[in-house]
Amino acid sequence: MADEVVLELRGITKRFPGIVANDHVDFELRRGEVHALLGENGAGKSTLMNILYGLYSADEGEILLRGKPVGFGSAREAIRSGIGMVHQHFMLIPVMSVAENIILATEPTQAGVFLDYGAAAKRVEELSRAFGLALDPDEKIQNITVGQQQRVEILKALYRNADVLILDEPTAVLTPQEAGELFEIIRTLQREGTSIIFITHKLNEVLDIADRISVLRRGKKVGTVPREGATEAGLARLMVGREVLFRVEKTPSTPGETLLQVANLSAVDDRGLGAVNGISFEVRAGEIVGIAGVDNNGQSELIDVIAGLRRPAEGRVTVGGKDYTRSSARAMIDDARVGHIPEDRHLRGLILDFSLAENFALHDYRKEPDSKLGWLFPRRLIAKARRLIEEFDVRGGGPATRAGSLSGGNQQKLVVAREVERDPRVLIAAQPTRGLDVGAIEFVHRRLIAERDEGRGILLVSLELEEILSLSDRILVIYEGRIVGEFSPEATEEELGLAMTGGGREAVAAA
Amino acid sequence: MSTGPPVAAGAPAPGGPGAVPSVARRLALYQRAGGIVTPLLTAMFAFMMGGVVVLATGHNPIATYRAIFKGTGLTWFGEFAEWLFRLATFQSHVFPGDTDAALNLQQTLIVMTPLMLTGLAVAFAFRCGLFNIGAQGQYLVGQMAAVGFGTLWAGLGGTLHLFLAVTLAALAGALWGGIAGFLKATVGAHEVITTIMLNWIAIWVAAYLVGLGGPMQDPSQAFFPISSTIHEAAKLPVFWGDAELQGLHVGLFIAFAMLVVYWTTLNRTTLGYEVRAVGFNPEAARYGGISVRRNYFLAMAISGFFAGLAGALDILGWQFHIAQADIEASTIGFIGIAVALLGRNTAVGVFFASLVFAGLYVGTSTRQLDPSVFDPELASNLTLIIQGLVVLFVGADLLILYVWSARRKLPWVRGKAAQA
Amino acid sequence: MSSGTAAVGGRDLPAWLAVTPRRVGIAGIALGAAAFWLALPPLLTRTVIWPIIVAVLALAAGAFAIRAGERRVGWGAVASGLVGIVGAVWATQWSSTSDLEEVFVWSALLAATLRFATPLTFAAIGGMFSERSGVTNIALEGKMLAGAFFGIWGADRYGSWEAGLGIAMLAGGLLALLHAFFAIHLRADQIVGGTAINFLALGLTGYLFIDQYGSEGTGANISQIPDVHLPGLEDVYFIGPSIGQLNLLIWLSFALLIASYLVMFRMPLGLRIRSVGEHPRAADTVGISVYGIRYFAVTLSGVLAALGGAYLSIGLVHSFNEGMTKGRGFIALAAVIFGNWRPFGAFGAALLFGFSSALALRLGPAYGTNYGTLFQALPYLLTLIAVAGVIGRSIPPAAIGRPYRKQ
Repeated sequence: MADEVVLELRGITKRFPGIVANDHVDFELRRGEVHALLGENGAGKSTLMNILYGLYSADEGEILLRGKPVGFGSAREAIRSGIGMVHQHFMLIPVMSVAENIILATEPTQAGVFLDYGAAAKRVEELSRAFGLALDPDEKIQNITVGQQQRVEILKALYRNADVLILDEPTAVLTPQEAGELFEIIRTLQREGTSIIFITHKLNEVLDIADRISVLRRGKKVGTVPREGATEAGLARLMVGREVLFRVEKTPSTPGETLLQVANLSAVDDRGLGAVNGISFEVRAGEIVGIAGVDNNGQSELIDVIAGLRRPAEGRVTVGGKDYTRSSARAMIDDARVGHIPEDRHLRGLILDFSLAENFALHDYRKEPDSKLGWLFPRRLIAKARRLIEEFDVRGGGPATRAGSLSGGNQQKLVVAREVERDPRVLIAAQPTRGLDVGAIEFVHRRLIAERDEGRGILLVSLELEEILSLSDRILVIYEGRIVGEFSPEATEEELGLAMTGGGREAVAAA
Repeated sequence: MSTGPPVAAGAPAPGGPGAVPSVARRLALYQRAGGIVTPLLTAMFAFMMGGVVVLATGHNPIATYRAIFKGTGLTWFGEFAEWLFRLATFQSHVFPGDTDAALNLQQTLIVMTPLMLTGLAVAFAFRCGLFNIGAQGQYLVGQMAAVGFGTLWAGLGGTLHLFLAVTLAALAGALWGGIAGFLKATVGAHEVITTIMLNWIAIWVAAYLVGLGGPMQDPSQAFFPISSTIHEAAKLPVFWGDAELQGLHVGLFIAFAMLVVYWTTLNRTTLGYEVRAVGFNPEAARYGGISVRRNYFLAMAISGFFAGLAGALDILGWQFHIAQADIEASTIGFIGIAVALLGRNTAVGVFFASLVFAGLYVGTSTRQLDPSVFDPELASNLTLIIQGLVVLFVGADLLILYVWSARRKLPWVRGKAAQA
Repeated sequence: MSSGTAAVGGRDLPAWLAVTPRRVGIAGIALGAAAFWLALPPLLTRTVIWPIIVAVLALAAGAFAIRAGERRVGWGAVASGLVGIVGAVWATQWSSTSDLEEVFVWSALLAATLRFATPLTFAAIGGMFSERSGVTNIALEGKMLAGAFFGIWGADRYGSWEAGLGIAMLAGGLLALLHAFFAIHLRADQIVGGTAINFLALGLTGYLFIDQYGSEGTGANISQIPDVHLPGLEDVYFIGPSIGQLNLLIWLSFALLIASYLVMFRMPLGLRIRSVGEHPRAADTVGISVYGIRYFAVTLSGVLAALGGAYLSIGLVHSFNEGMTKGRGFIALAAVIFGNWRPFGAFGAALLFGFSSALALRLGPAYGTNYGTLFQALPYLLTLIAVAGVIGRSIPPAAIGRPYRKQ
C-alpha cells in the first residue's frame, strides 16, 4: 500500500505573459507519504498546486488521480475528487465561526431548507477528536490563534473527505512550537492513509517531515530525492544552482551613544486589543538591532509607534535625548530624523502613480529647495531625483517615470535611497527584503551594513530568522508584545525559535 | 465603504493585491492608456445609445441630434471663420455679433461657465480620492449666498460689492463642502452619503427661505415663491449680447481663470502634491508624514468653493434672483460629475467636456429646440440618459483596455516596435 | 458574559437582569425619547421641569455608557437626551396644546410612519442583500424610481395593480442586472457605476413619462394596491386607526423582513452570500460561485427596490412625478448601514426616518406651509447625523466595494 501511486502529474506546463511558471514538470505522490515540494520564491511550486487544485488550467501535460486522467476546472471539482488544499494565506472568514467556515458550501440542512448548526457542530467535534485537532466549533475565526486557524483549514479539507492534502508553506505563520504540533498532526494523518504534499522553501523542515523531496527551480523540476542521504547543503544547491552564501560579510560593530530609546511602551492594535505590552530597549549609533518574532506579535504596532503613526497608551520614545512620544509622523521624519523603510512598499512605501522624482520628494517637498511657501519647483525635484538614481543605481526609468513600472528590487532601492539620503539618525527597516530577488536582497543587506558603519542606529524587523542572524549586532525576540529575550548573533535558530514561542525567559535576565 | 475590519493572520493585507483603486488611480490609468481617444469614443458611444433610445420611441435620431446641434450655437464658429476669411480677402464683412447662432452660442457659454466650475469641483475631489456628489448642494448654497449678499448693502460701490458677493458666496459653498469633508476626516463618514444628504438639506432649506412667507422671499411679489432681486451694482458686466436678454457675462473669464488655478494648485503647490498623493495612495501618504484627514477636509472645502463659485456666477451673471421652482429643477451640480469623469479630472478635459455638455443642455432646452422635431422636455431627459451612459462607460475600464490593446494591433505601431 | 450570572455590588443577578453599560445606554436613549414624549399628547405636561429632569437622566446614562466603553449607545443616549430637552422646550414654550394635539395623533402617526417606512424597508432589504454579497449599492435610488414609473405604467396599461407590481419588479431587476454586469464582470468602480444607473433611471423614467403621458400626468383611476382591513379591529382604540387598514404591501414588507432574516441567517444561501461578501476568494476556493451569488444579490436588490418604488406610486401617491423618489433610495442605504446590515436593524432605521417624514407632513398644516417645507429636510438631517455617528463604528462586510478578480 505504501507504494501505490495516488497522484501523478506528467509534463505540466503553464505559461504566463513573460514567464514560464511550470516547464514540463513531473511529480508523483504515493499513498500515505509526505512528499515535499521545495523551491525558492517564484520557483513555480504554488502554480503547480493551483493547477492541480483547479484554480489554474495547465497549457500542457496531464494529471492522473488514482490512475484515471482528470482535469479540474474549478476548486469544487478538485474537492469532490478528494483533494484538499490549505493555502498559505488562509481562506477563512474572520467574522464567522469555526463550524460555519468548515461547512461552507456543503452545509447540512434540516428539512432541506434551514441550516442544521447542531449537525455541523457534531461532525466538527467528531473530526477534531479523530485527528487530534482540538477546536471549539462556535468560536469566531478572528478570536483564535493562527495555529488554530490552520487546523480549521485542515479540518475543512478533512470534512470534505480529502485523502490528498496540499499544504502550502504551512509553517510560515507558525511559531516553532506550533510547527511541531503541526508535524504531529501530519504524522497522524499519514497513519490514517492521507497522502500529503508539503510546499516549502525551508530546508530544515523538509528534512524533518518529508519522506521524499522534489526540488523546483525556475519552473523546472531538478530532482526528486528520498529523505535518507539528503543534506541541507545538497538541497540548497539543487534549489539555487550554485553554492549559497548564507551570511553577509561584516566587520564587528562599535556602538556609540544611544540614539533611540524606547521605555515601557504599550499600544493597542486597530481592533483595540493590546499589541505592545511594556517594551523597553535602545538602539545605539553604529549598531543594528534586529527584532525577531513570528508575524502579528506586535512588531508592526511597535514600529508604528516609533515612527509616529500610532499613539502609545503608555511609555516613552526618546530620540537623541529628546522626547518624541506623542509626535506626529511628520515630526519624527523632520525633527527626530527617524527614517522608515516600511513593511509593504506598494501599500506604504511608495505612491506607484507618482513619478520617481515625486516619490523621492515624499518627505522633503514641503521644504526648500523643493518648494517655497507652498509653491513647488518641479525642476529641482527632477535634479535631485537624477542624482539619487545614479547614486543608488535605480534602474528602470528616469525621474519622470512612473514608480509602478519599476521592478520590486528597484522600487525598494528607491525607498532606501529616499530614507538614507536625508541622513537620518535612526533608520527603521521593516521586512526590507520581502518579495525581492537574490540580487536585490544582497543590495539591501550591504546598504544596511554600510549605513551602520556611517554611525546610524538601525532597527531591523524581519520575519526571516536568517536575515536577522546575518545582519544584526544584537537580537531581541518579541512575543505577544513583549521582549522575551536578547541574543547575540551567534545564537542558533533553535534558541531564537524557543524564545519566539515564549520560552527562554531566563535569557532576559542574563542580557 | 468605510474602514475595513481587522485582518486575520495570514490573510492578504488590505491595500495590497486586490485593494480598491481609488477613482483617482483609475482615471490616471485611463489618461496613460487612452489619451484623448477614449473620451471621444466614450462620448460618441453614449450619443449613439441615446440615439437608439430616440429611435426606439418612434422619433428620428438624426433630425433630433441635428436640431440639438443647431441650438448649441457651435455653428457660430463657422460664421466667425467666414468673417475672418472675408476680412482677409478684403470683401465686405459684418461681424456676426447677433445672428441666431451667436445668440445660441452665448447661451451655451453661459451654461458652460458653471459647468466648468462644478466639473472642477468634482474633479478636484476625485483627485483626492473622494466622490463629491454634493456639488449640487454646494452650488445651491453659493446661489443662496450670492442672492443674500447681492441684496444687502444697498449703497456699496459696484466693484467692491461684486467682489464681496462672489467671494463670500464661493466661501459659503466651501463651507457646505467642508462639512462633508470634516465628517470624513473625523469620523470617517462616507462622503457619498453625507453629500447627498447635504444636497437635500440645502434644497429644502432654500425652498423654505424663498417660499411664501419665507425670510428671503421678495416682499414685492407676495404670491410668488421667489427671492428678491439683487442690486444692479452686484451684477456681473455683460460683454457680448444684450444685457436685458441674458447676455454673456464676464463670469466666463473667471471660470477660465479657475481652470488655470485648478491646474496650478494641483501641479505646482505643496497642497496639490499632498492632495494627489492622498488620492493615489492614502497609506503611503500617511507613512510619508502627510495628514490624510486634513487633506480630505481641504479637498472637500476647495471642491465646495468651486461649486459655490459656480452658483455665485450664475446668480450675479444672469439669474439675479432665485425661484423655488428653480431650486429643485437645477442639475448643474450633477452634470458636473459627468463633466469631471469625461474630462478625466484634468483641467483641459473639463474644458472640453463642459463644452460638450453645455451644448447638449442648451441644445435641448425649450428655447432652442424646435418642438415639432422633438419635444424639449423629452430632450432634457435624453440629456440625462446620455450623461448616465457617459458616467457608466467611464466607470468601466473595459473600453480603455480594449482601445489600449487595439492600439498594439495597429500595423504602424507594430512596425515601430520592430524597428526599435 | 457567557456565564449565567453577573455580579452587581456584590450580589449575583441572573444575566438577563444585569446592569451593563450597554443596557444603561439603551435606557438612556429611551429616557430621552420619554422626556420629549412627556410634553406631548396624551400627557401634555405643560411645565418643562419634568421633561428636563428625565432628559438629564438620559444624558447621565449616556455619559456613563460612554465612560464604560459603550460609545455608540452612549452617544445615542446623549443625542436622545438633547433631543428630549429641545423637544420638550419647543412643545411647552412655543406650541399651543391645540397645535400639539393636531400634530401628535399617535395612531395616525404610526400609520403614516409605516406608510413612509415601507418603500425604505423594501429598498433597504434589497440593499442589504447586495451589500452583504460585497457590492456597494448606491443605485437603490434609480431602481426605486424605475419601479415607481414602471409600476404605475404597468398598472395603467394592463388595468391591474398586480401587473404593475410585476412589471415594476421586472424593470428593477433588469436595471440591476445592468448595474451588476458593469460592477461584477467589468469590475467598474461600484459607486461611479451606481451613480450612472441613477442618472439613467432618472432620464429614462422622465423620458418615458413625458413620452407616454405628456403634461397631463398619469391621470386618475389607475388600479391601486388594496388596503388590508383587519376585521373587527377597525374601531378598536388606537389599533384601529393605526394598523387596522394598512396597505397590503406594508404587510408584505413585514413578511419580507422575516423571510430575509431567515434566508440570511438560517439558510445555506445566506451563509454563502455572507461568505462572498466577507472573503470572496475563500468562498471561491470551496466552490461557491462568487459572480453567481453577486449577480443574484444585486438583481434581487433591484427587484425589491423597485417594489418599494412601485408601492410609492401605485400604493401611496397613486401617480408618478419625475424624480419622485427624492433621495429615498439613499436614505434606504443609510438605513442598511445604520442597522448594521441586518434586516431588523435596517427596519428600525427605516421606521425612524419614516417617522420624521410623517411628522414633517403633519407639522405643515398646523404650523404653516413654509415651516412644513423646512421640516421636509428632517429625514435627511437625521440620516446625516445617523451616518456620521455610526460609520466607523459599524463593521461592513469585509470585501465590500472591491471588484473580484477570478483567476
